[in-house]
Amino acid sequence: MLVSKKWISLLALSVAGSLILAGCTSSKSNSNSTSQQQGSTAKKGGTLTIVQSADINTKNLMGQNNPNFSIEKLIYNTLIHYNHKTLQPEPELASSWKLSSDNRTITFNLRSGVKYHTGAEFTANDVIGTIKYMQLPTTSSQTKSIAMLITHMVADNPHKVTLTLDHAVSNLFDLFEMMPIINPSNMQQTENGKTFDGTGPFKVDSYSPGVGVKLSKFDGYWQKGEPYLDHVDINVVKSSQGMLSSLKSGQSQLALDLEPLDAVSIKNNPQYKLVQSDAQDNTLYVASNVKTPLLSNKAVRQAISYSIDRKRVLSQVMGGIGEASDLPWSPDSPAYDKALNHRYTYNPSKAKSLLEKAGAAGQSVNVYYNSGFAPAAGAAQIIVFDLKQAGLKPVAQPQQAATFLTNLQTGNFDGLFVQGHGFGQLHPSILINGSFPFNASKNASNFDNATYKQLAASVAQTTDPSKQKSLLRQLNKFLLDQQFLSDLVVSSHTYTISSKVKGLQWNMLDDLVLDKTYIQK
Amino acid sequence: MFAYIRRRALSALIILLVASVLIFGILRLAPGDPAVAIAGPDATAPVIKAIRQSLGLDQNLAVQYWTWLSGLFTGNLHHSYVFGSSVAALLGQALSNTLELALGALICAVVIAVAIGVPAGVSRRPGSARTANLIDSVLYAVPPYVTGVLFVLVFSVALHLFPASGSGPGPWKSSASLHALILPAVCLSLPTAAIVGRFLGSSLRKTSEADFVRTARAKGISEARLVWRHILPNSLPPVLTILGLQIGQLLSGAIIVETVFAWPGLGQLLVNSVTESDYLTTQDILMFAVLVFVIIQLLTDIVNNVFDANRGKRNL
Repeated sequence: MLVSKKWISLLALSVAGSLILAGCTSSKSNSNSTSQQQGSTAKKGGTLTIVQSADINTKNLMGQNNPNFSIEKLIYNTLIHYNHKTLQPEPELASSWKLSSDNRTITFNLRSGVKYHTGAEFTANDVIGTIKYMQLPTTSSQTKSIAMLITHMVADNPHKVTLTLDHAVSNLFDLFEMMPIINPSNMQQTENGKTFDGTGPFKVDSYSPGVGVKLSKFDGYWQKGEPYLDHVDINVVKSSQGMLSSLKSGQSQLALDLEPLDAVSIKNNPQYKLVQSDAQDNTLYVASNVKTPLLSNKAVRQAISYSIDRKRVLSQVMGGIGEASDLPWSPDSPAYDKALNHRYTYNPSKAKSLLEKAGAAGQSVNVYYNSGFAPAAGAAQIIVFDLKQAGLKPVAQPQQAATFLTNLQTGNFDGLFVQGHGFGQLHPSILINGSFPFNASKNASNFDNATYKQLAASVAQTTDPSKQKSLLRQLNKFLLDQQFLSDLVVSSHTYTISSKVKGLQWNMLDDLVLDKTYIQK
Repeated sequence: MFAYIRRRALSALIILLVASVLIFGILRLAPGDPAVAIAGPDATAPVIKAIRQSLGLDQNLAVQYWTWLSGLFTGNLHHSYVFGSSVAALLGQALSNTLELALGALICAVVIAVAIGVPAGVSRRPGSARTANLIDSVLYAVPPYVTGVLFVLVFSVALHLFPASGSGPGPWKSSASLHALILPAVCLSLPTAAIVGRFLGSSLRKTSEADFVRTARAKGISEARLVWRHILPNSLPPVLTILGLQIGQLLSGAIIVETVFAWPGLGQLLVNSVTESDYLTTQDILMFAVLVFVIIQLLTDIVNNVFDANRGKRNL
């Protein structure tokens, strides 16, 4: 016989043994799930594995940056954090503060006994150092304009710092909600991904660029008894499908920002939970380059807004996560106005009539989108269909991310473009003065309007709440009228988690807060 | 001889220089701006300008080219614009991960090829060769990105036997690394296993007809001993040649498999660098690939020249 029965038996046993070994390894790494079924509920310990589609950005820790959601509040703390309902600041590294009557001077009393991961003591000079870093020409942040207003900084004592602004702003605390306190002596090494020195609940054990980050519990954390987890592993998996597979295979327990349709596919599976951030900081929009002949006409832009079926975008692209909206504000934003939010209800015949009146019927228009950003790609298809119904000749123009972002920054789209923006959840000033799509000074639509700039400056500098309300209403009417940017759906960032993950929290910028997170056994 | 080596070395240098110009130029022509990638989509124009200045991207292209090229000659492979780490460190780690994957795939390919090729080559049953050919055809035809996705769905998601992505702590350092290597290595190995298996089967059939095999059978040696101790070793030389040629295929195929399994190898690094417009890292990786190719060509030419010279002497 070619191969003896003995050899066949040995081969079969080897294969079976390998499978058993693989199964043993698999079941060992999943031992949490097995013992959960058997009952004891140990709150502390364990490793949470997070999977996300892009690597962290170590050169942009001062701003809101989606890939950094998983690390900002793990490694660092901020001076304050916002209450999710009231948007009022609550203590974090700052235990209390006093704002002067003219809103130009703020004194923070800082928590004592707070240590960095390297053992250094957190002091007032670190706040000053961090703000100075924020003010550097090469530092990018949506709240940089607020930081630049700080003209005078004094460390009154190691735990007291006074900051003086050039003039008052209405959203001063947005800066302190966003700005992580980084040990100033390690700034350069942090940018290079070598050292991450913060006061947060977890310290970085290793960082492999493009691959992931491994963190472990910081035993010297100032919140005694926290964090509950021993380790957090963050892995980069480029595709949403790959992230979903990682979650379903048990390899990870939290997937950050799965594409909406992938996230809703497991919404009804009891083993998982789709957590929608209440910050509602994830808005899809279509905008116009108002310098192009067709889109320079406000009536055409309004017609386009009427022509788009926002509810279809919500259900078919965003998986029903969020709400259709003409304005960028989340329901908790001070600028949210339910009465004004649905002016542009889907009305293709009205759109057609407006276009005909404007002499734009039958005209060609390009619709640009980032082909790697699935919600934009999906929305663009719907927009192209809707514009055809309204009587225009739209042409879909998918672009690679690098090309799209460059065109976005330079305002070089010769037509419409579909993208997402955030900051509809905080004070409106941060959106219209700090977020590029809306920035009154310079935006991707090339919308350069004196009234808009005036409004933006007023919104930024008016601190009287009653005057604010009237200003915000004015702003909303202006945005609805001009439609240089048409919001489609106000949605949320999502955290898709194993149902065994408990105690998940986040701040109003969607940064994960894992102080009280644990894995149920 | 030395004159020949000098000539070939000079032409190799010219090839490297031309390649450097092409690589630099094409990347600069491609859309994308590393300053925008670093600063984020909400960054203002002054910040982007400041970042460009800090990276030296505001200098004219000739200066940028010379700065990069001179860094290569002095062994200074610069720091990645986006990651901040030195490109040498990134390249080293990525290369070791790719080699680990390729080596794992090579071992799997050999095991699978033997499992398919030996029965096909030595069995006297009429259907064996046809069955083996069918299996080979399927393994060769189905591309790795299809088998990869199927493997993840079946073995990771459905059966929870293997991780769906990632590489574990490091090469051969632990059972976790080996565990993470199995699926991507098997996936990468299949087309190679198909080719090698077919060659092995064919080579075994040919060797089986040799006189020494008939003699051995006549002497009463058991079939198993005959196959494993005599037929197989004598069938290997052409198979090893094919296997050697397939190593290049394994390395290039690794790029696709790395994407499916999020394996942090050279392919992933290159894709990340290109999408983030990290010019320096992309330039250095491509130059490294050109350098390896040029060195192999140079050595091959020199060895050929030596053999030609010796053959010439023998003919005399």
